[in-house]
Amino acid sequence: PSANVGRAPGPPDGGWGWAGVFGAFVSIGFAYAFPKGVAIFFKEIQGFFGTSYSEIAWVSSIMLATTYGAGPISSILVNRYGSRPVVIFGGLLCGIGMVSAAFCTSILQLYICVGFITGFGLALNLQPSVIIIGKYFLKRRPIANGLAMAGSPVMLCTLAPLNQFLFDNFGWRGSFLILGAILLNCCVAGALFRPIGAATALVKTQATEEGKDALKEEVTKDAMEMSNPTGVPMETKMEEEGGKDCCEKINKYLDFSLFKHRGFLIYLIGNVLMFLGFFAPIVFLAPYAKHIGIDEYSAAFLLSILAIVDMIARPTTGIIANSKWVRPRIQYFFSFAIAFNGACHLLCPLASGYTGLVIYSVFFGLAFGMVCAMLFETLMDLVGAARFTSAVGLVTIAECCTILLGPPIGGTLIDTFGDYKYMFIKCGAVMVLAGTFLFIMNYYNYRMLAKEEKERKAKEEDPKSVRTENEGRNNWNKETAQDGPELEPLREEQEGLKKEVNGT
Amino acid sequence: MPVAFSGKRLGLLLLLFLSLSGGSPAGPTMTIQDASQSQANSLTKMQAGLNESSSEHMTTTPTVNWQSQGSPSDHLTLGHNVSMLGPDLTTQEFKQAIKANVSSLTFVEYEVLLPGVSGTSIEKNITLDSATGIELSCRLDSKYFHLKNLQMTWKRGNETIEHINKTENSWGIQLKILDNSKLGSYSCTLKGEEISAIFHLQVPKIEGKEKPIVSYEGDTAVMICKSFGYTPIAWTWYRTNGSEQIAINDSLLADKYVINSVSANVTHLKILKLTREDDGVYWCEAAFELGKSKGKLKLKILSFMVPLKPFLAIVAEVVILVTIIFLYEMYSKKKCAEDEKEFDQVEQLKSEESNGLENSSARHRKI
Repeated sequence: PSANVGRAPGPPDGGWGWAGVFGAFVSIGFAYAFPKGVAIFFKEIQGFFGTSYSEIAWVSSIMLATTYGAGPISSILVNRYGSRPVVIFGGLLCGIGMVSAAFCTSILQLYICVGFITGFGLALNLQPSVIIIGKYFLKRRPIANGLAMAGSPVMLCTLAPLNQFLFDNFGWRGSFLILGAILLNCCVAGALFRPIGAATALVKTQATEEGKDALKEEVTKDAMEMSNPTGVPMETKMEEEGGKDCCEKINKYLDFSLFKHRGFLIYLIGNVLMFLGFFAPIVFLAPYAKHIGIDEYSAAFLLSILAIVDMIARPTTGIIANSKWVRPRIQYFFSFAIAFNGACHLLCPLASGYTGLVIYSVFFGLAFGMVCAMLFETLMDLVGAARFTSAVGLVTIAECCTILLGPPIGGTLIDTFGDYKYMFIKCGAVMVLAGTFLFIMNYYNYRMLAKEEKERKAKEEDPKSVRTENEGRNNWNKETAQDGPELEPLREEQEGLKKEVNGT
Repeated sequence: MPVAFSGKRLGLLLLLFLSLSGGSPAGPTMTIQDASQSQANSLTKMQAGLNESSSEHMTTTPTVNWQSQGSPSDHLTLGHNVSMLGPDLTTQEFKQAIKANVSSLTFVEYEVLLPGVSGTSIEKNITLDSATGIELSCRLDSKYFHLKNLQMTWKRGNETIEHINKTENSWGIQLKILDNSKLGSYSCTLKGEEISAIFHLQVPKIEGKEKPIVSYEGDTAVMICKSFGYTPIAWTWYRTNGSEQIAINDSLLADKYVINSVSANVTHLKILKLTREDDGVYWCEAAFELGKSKGKLKLKILSFMVPLKPFLAIVAEVVILVTIIFLYEMYSKKKCAEDEKEFDQVEQLKSEESNGLENSSARHRKI
């Protein structure tokens, strides 16, 4: 049995993980950049179908709403089948959606094909990509997250001119056909998401799929215990409380017990608040520039500056967040990034002329990249990689509402007051508020976690309670793991592992 | 650019203060800022308070000045709202209405400051869409004040214009633009020095699309033409067949062409059931009071095979990549399994050895 100890079942933090990061880069890039990139075709489609611009803009909104709203479904599927099949299926769905959109004859069909089907496919791409990073990385997870999230601006910068080129040469129908093929590359990204953790189990036994997943969860949880002891006491207590069978079953697919998790709730409330003011400035930056007299091309260039700074900021933030000074206090760094974002927006109305706006775009790109790079990293840090699957699904569906509300509220403010500055002030205020809230609550959370950690250590020093704790954990293992004869030898290995862990 | 901006401001001011005067029931008459001072048949000038003001004239005029330091071809447009006449009026009735009211026309002045550099020529574009009075004048730079016997000639093409209004250092001509024949290029030339200024009087330009509209066989194509700022009287669509232009009659071929106007400034041409022959150049023509203006659009028809090729190429690439990745994974797993088997065998041998005599060395190895 000692043969498998050498291959530490914890996250490899490298090796094939980087291929997974590249796959996540492509997948996340498509998921975030595609709804924005499609907007290039809108003017032509609007004239073709003879509709108003707002009716066309619904296509983008439906796509974005579906991508975020289908988060829980994506989480359930990943919990059941693992990341790889879900992403491959998502890629196929995107491709089918866009190809069928090429043959659409009405705006309603476009809503369905481009909006729902492609949006759902992108949702099936987004969540698993973020989840797989948590499974492959632990020590270098912030860097991996930063690199993967950098896919979004890179894809946007690539898609925008590509879409224009396709449109000039093939018209909108041909472009949708070819874009469908390009989206199939998500399947390639999915193929890179090799299942992890169960590699050793596969070699030795023929465990069932569910058994593999349960093992994965336990294994990763052990890894978490090794290096992030603060997260564990909460989780074991939570799981032991969820005793009923049906609740357990549901929780296996989508962990609703997360709503009792303090860190998760803090993250949820803070992020839902933040997203109210997150996307509106980007949407209105170019119109604002035109409003104060800047020509169209320079206004578009502002967005390019934003994207380029964003591209550089994301991996850099990942590296900074990974450093030993920041990693333990990564929640504070996140709150700071959000508040910095808010401060930028509050100062924007003071920017006069093109130079002022360029400076604003640079800082905004920096802040935007910082927040996005750490968006999922902080959630992983709070709930742990095992429950992250369900957490990300629940968070995205909650954010869905505010993401969709943000730009229209901004638009209403602009229309009522006729001035863009109120929109910027609103976004800035909301984000500063969110940042402060997260800062204070995370300070409280860290203190509580430290307290619980002390209690746990005090208990461990007491030998009686160690045995009961181990027994408790073994009982819990027997409950959650799917019982099967194949798993017996594995569990023995597991406990051998645990003893080694506790020893070190 | 300060000049363009001030011209724009002027244009806005003028548009703001244009309205039907109380006396005439129909006709595009214009009132000036001080309505009480409008006089029939008189040259009325409004001072916008920009640069020089001629003390000889009592009344105020809209004066548009271009400084020569600006770009050689500034484009200043003054829009007159024709819609007050009603959409049903034909061009002929329109002209009669103009003639009846010519006495109460107000003249808009365009002035150019000639630069001190000899051998230069300045060009100005003036866009007109309905009947107006125009006064063009060329003002001399102070450099030339010392010269005696200054003579400025006004020409349109080759014919010289006789009635020149001369003030202290500017020469102007008055024009009543009532129909297309009066449009064109008017130039003032300073004799001796080769300095001139040219005014191009034109109808508003219609923009088509530079890039071709791509569509597919059997599909529908929609072509849109817009007029910016000026409202045309009528729209007509033409199709280029060889070297001829054929008007498109949508009532004749109702199942092929559909023309409709969303608003007066915009026209849509919808072509149904596209075939290869529909490929080519199309023109949208806007008829204004003073003439017609065309916009060019290109239609390109492709067969569905054209985008299908890149599509299949990319799908093939995806399939190949996925296969390679899966094959590599299976290969590396096999390798792992083989390595494991070897490792296991070595371990077994080791354990057999350690069960033998050399206990201490085995213990070292295990740790």
